[in-house]
Amino acid sequence: MRTLIACIVTFALTFRAFGAEDRIVIERPMDDLGFLKPIPVAISGFSGEVDSVLKNDLLFMGVINVPVDQAKYLVNGSNSDRVEGGVTDKVTKHPVMPRKGYTGGNLRSQTHALADDIAQALTQLPGIAQRKITFKVHTGPGAKEIYIADYDGHNPRAVTQDGVNVSAPCWAGRLSLFYSSYKFGNAVIFSHVLQSGQRKAIARYGGSNISPAVSPDGSKVAMILSKSGSPDLYVSDIEGGNLRQLTSTAEAESSPCWSPDGRMICYTSRERGGRPSLFKISANGGRPEVIPTPGAPIPSEPDWSPNGKWIAFTSLIGTFRIFITPSDGGRVYEVAEGEDPSWAPNSRALIYCKGPDGGKHLSLLDVPTKQFKDVPRVLESNSQPAWAR
Amino acid sequence: MKCTKFVNLTAVTLLAVAVAAGCSRNPQAVTPLHGYKDKSVTDEVPKGPMVGDSQPIPLSGNLSGLQAAADQPAVLRDNVVYFAYDRADVRPSEGSKLDAVASYMKGGNRLVRVEGHCDERGTEEYNRSLGERRALKVREYLVRAGVSADRIDTISHGEDKPAVSGHSEAAWSKNRRAEFLLLQAPPSGVGASGPQ
Repeated sequence: MRTLIACIVTFALTFRAFGAEDRIVIERPMDDLGFLKPIPVAISGFSGEVDSVLKNDLLFMGVINVPVDQAKYLVNGSNSDRVEGGVTDKVTKHPVMPRKGYTGGNLRSQTHALADDIAQALTQLPGIAQRKITFKVHTGPGAKEIYIADYDGHNPRAVTQDGVNVSAPCWAGRLSLFYSSYKFGNAVIFSHVLQSGQRKAIARYGGSNISPAVSPDGSKVAMILSKSGSPDLYVSDIEGGNLRQLTSTAEAESSPCWSPDGRMICYTSRERGGRPSLFKISANGGRPEVIPTPGAPIPSEPDWSPNGKWIAFTSLIGTFRIFITPSDGGRVYEVAEGEDPSWAPNSRALIYCKGPDGGKHLSLLDVPTKQFKDVPRVLESNSQPAWAR
Repeated sequence: MKCTKFVNLTAVTLLAVAVAAGCSRNPQAVTPLHGYKDKSVTDEVPKGPMVGDSQPIPLSGNLSGLQAAADQPAVLRDNVVYFAYDRADVRPSEGSKLDAVASYMKGGNRLVRVEGHCDERGTEEYNRSLGERRALKVREYLVRAGVSADRIDTISHGEDKPAVSGHSEAAWSKNRRAEFLLLQAPPSGVGASGPQ
């Protein structure tokens, strides 16, 4: 009998040991639209700025701080010396993310790195806290400059100092920007390497050269040029060569954006009969198709989510409102009051702007929960944000 | 008595009709906020004969770098062209202004830039593009009126340079416009060739 019990116990212990070290199952329930429901964690051990930055970062990555009794996971760490932290399952005590320390930069940047790692371990989605944003700042009468900052608006710094009108900055990878500047009189598209400040006119044709959008693989740029006598959609190589005209309508095309696989471009134009609509067209040219947005009229400024599922855009219903639609259109969901959305790398958060003309500011949105957080304004008016991916 | 009753009934009926007429049907169930109205493009169909749509006319870019002339003639300053909301077509009511500008241009070797502007009710890049289209439509009109395309440049400022500040149609209608700027001829002489 004792032998039998010994055998059963040994067997049970072996089985348990084998099971325990093998897989850590993280439940990731989704909501009706396919976004992860926020994962509840209890955060402890951090203080001051680190604590608040960590909680804010995680909020926009689908991880929310709750009291211990409601949490599924524990995030524990410290910042007495450098920032360090780890994640464990509250019930089983198994490590979800082994404790890590961060060095270099400053406390904020270390915290952003920790937040990204925690979010990655829990959600398997890309981190967003270390990716920068670019945006336009009104610095004075008639003068606008391009700025970059941390995604939460910290550490803003001017990229241009021309004292002329600029617009529509977008990222080329994480190290360069493209934008349209009136430095030469008419609107010309420039590429601008951040580290060196070196820039080059990529599209300097007659008329307007505006609204650049760099392809996700960094090899091409889409833009709106009016040199044919009407604002049309064009694509060129990243240095401006091999220019190809994709649309030639009597209407005014505007604000192109790329699908994440680089095969399609979504933009604004009008249908026959004049109604403003979103369209998509192959990046190699072809027939454009309407992306219907019933209930969200006058759609513009689209941005395609990095996971390919959604297109966020601005609609005008009394005031500007941000909607999302599946990439084929057909249904729309209003997510915020504001304009000009740009998706975060995790296809969950986005940055946008809102407020009165001349006094706009940026704001961060967690799309599925519609929680938003305003970003501190730089100088007079901030608009046209774009999030690096 | 009967008279009073009839008067009352009439009054009530008139009131009911007035109320019914005043209630706008709002199929989207959206309540417009003060100062804004969700206008569909079809709200603004111009009355009378439309100036016909024409083919786009390419821009060479030769005039892009030219500066404004020091003295701006009254004929250009005074003939600002105004547009309907969200439209770029030149309305018949604006035709006489463009005829005056065309006469001025044909009267000498003159180079002009058309500046297109929008009111604030559009997103920034949408308005930048719409402003350019307004400038181009004005240019097309001038070309049809006999001015050489080489003499006319365009630029859009979108909603960035309103003429009038304010958040009402009174202001917006003054901002949806195209203005003319006389350009300094380049030092080597006039770049344009061909018939005026």
